[in-house]
Amino acid sequence: MNTAATKATLLSRIAGLDHIPTIPAVLAPLLRYLQQPVEDLDVQKVTDLIAQDKSLAAQCLQMANSPLYGRWQKIDSLRGAVVGLGFHRVSDIAMSCGVLNLMPKDIGAIDPVVFWEHSLGCALVCRHFARKISYPDPSKAYLAGLLHDLGIIVNLWVLPREFREAYEFARAEGIPLHEAEQKVLGFTHCESGRLLADKWELSAPLKEVVSLHHNIQEAHDHAGLVALVEISDLLCRMSGLNYGYIENRQVNLLEQTGFAVLSQQCKGLKDFDWARLTFEMDSYMDEVHTLVRAIYRT
Amino acid sequence: MTAVAAPPFAIAGPPDPELVRIRDLIYRSAGIFHPDNKLRLLLDRCGRRMKELKTQTLHEYCDCLTIKPTRQTELIALLNEITIGETCFFRSPSQLDALRQIVIPKVLEAKSKAPLRRLRIWCAGCSTGEEPYTLSMLMLEEAQGRLKDWTVEILATDLNERSLAHATNGIYGSYSTRNLTPLYRQKYFIPAGEQLQIQPAVRSSITFSRLNLSDDGRMALMKGIDIIFCCNVLIYFDLVSKRRVIQHFYNSLLPHGYLFLGHSESLYGVSEDFQLLHLPGATAYIRGERSQGGK
Repeated sequence: MNTAATKATLLSRIAGLDHIPTIPAVLAPLLRYLQQPVEDLDVQKVTDLIAQDKSLAAQCLQMANSPLYGRWQKIDSLRGAVVGLGFHRVSDIAMSCGVLNLMPKDIGAIDPVVFWEHSLGCALVCRHFARKISYPDPSKAYLAGLLHDLGIIVNLWVLPREFREAYEFARAEGIPLHEAEQKVLGFTHCESGRLLADKWELSAPLKEVVSLHHNIQEAHDHAGLVALVEISDLLCRMSGLNYGYIENRQVNLLEQTGFAVLSQQCKGLKDFDWARLTFEMDSYMDEVHTLVRAIYRT
Repeated sequence: MTAVAAPPFAIAGPPDPELVRIRDLIYRSAGIFHPDNKLRLLLDRCGRRMKELKTQTLHEYCDCLTIKPTRQTELIALLNEITIGETCFFRSPSQLDALRQIVIPKVLEAKSKAPLRRLRIWCAGCSTGEEPYTLSMLMLEEAQGRLKDWTVEILATDLNERSLAHATNGIYGSYSTRNLTPLYRQKYFIPAGEQLQIQPAVRSSITFSRLNLSDDGRMALMKGIDIIFCCNVLIYFDLVSKRRVIQHFYNSLLPHGYLFLGHSESLYGVSEDFQLLHLPGATAYIRGERSQGGK
């Protein structure tokens, strides 16, 4: 276990962020472009932006054909995806592929397939959960769920050996990964994620999600979104969309801080049917596994 | 309207709205939920009933479940199709893993100061006995470890005399035993021709008895229970009876007790006395703070 001095050394290595890839070249302009009002957006422009990166374009097309994104007719072109799914869903898909491409190739700790399944699963559950409880700003939910564990990617790039030790400890003990990181590294992926989120100049709500989803008490301006992610993340970790190991514990969602926070913002949470939400996640699990494995094979 | 071909059905495209309607109806009235990836199974079960009733479309069948005077009987018939073949040893591995890894240690911790080292599990609606025998085998596996020096009592009750006779007999065919690992097969069963018979050691911790869950007098006698399993039984009860049974379960369970229902079975809208608990890959219920008078 690390001392405060080691923690400082590790954090300074992260702060350098030398080894971490930049946000994929295509995504930054795409996300900027999509910030405009929908009526100003041009299908061709979005298509051209994504098509610049051939591998990203191919992955996007594969994802666009998954039932997870709401289309059942075959989509065989990027243009068809943008027209059929809408700008924002295509942006969600492009970001999802972007996260996949951020993972280091030779990881050695957490399986990249498993990590991506968790991130994607969390994004989908966040989106679904937000809709079900009439969360006031559901459009942010997907991206928040997708990016919440950005800090794990940072740890994998910068501290592969130390992070592996933390991951193995979590797996052996059946404890949450952030608790193991705290014990082994002296900090969690929330802190590492915060550094990358700053460097990437992510929006304020996303920064709060990335840095506080395991410490929601400290969330302020965007506590609702952080709570949405905290609960979706927990649901994924207690199901087959976990980090590749079973957390040996029981969870009462009503006792989570996130529940108290969300209850204040969403009337839909009163008398909410948690059991049904949990059962509904079953079909996400199957689809996510199928989709991720299909993309990984290509 | 959707024409239904002979099984096997293929679901390509978005779920059929009529099927979703039937799914929601079943969830509302019986508390058992079919997520989208299980709708094919539900369609197959509806198909069997439709063949029987000679109805041509899901729309027509939906009417049988909602409008026709025989709708209640039809719902029961459909639920029977849904749960048919569900009974087997080690039916729900993630539920059983959660029982062993999390629930048992929690219960033992809660009882660490109790004068009597006794664990009481109740299988309410044990059918032909696969569930209590599975639990008994698991507890025997724990007997040298966590449950050393503990007495385990498994109360297995059912309404149906024939099922109970089958359970007491303890002889099972290949369908029931399909999930058994070679280890369990060898350690806890004796070959009986083509079938397998439960070893006496597995039988010894179980008491089989006939019990109607609607019998308030008898139900009130079920006390001091640590864990209740009641899988795919409440789905057949109407809301009022379900609430009554759940109230009895609440009273039967010790404060630290757990209630397990079937996979994808929910107490939503039935009881506020219990709180849903998430375990790895499974759910269970625990006693919550009771509102005055219960519900």
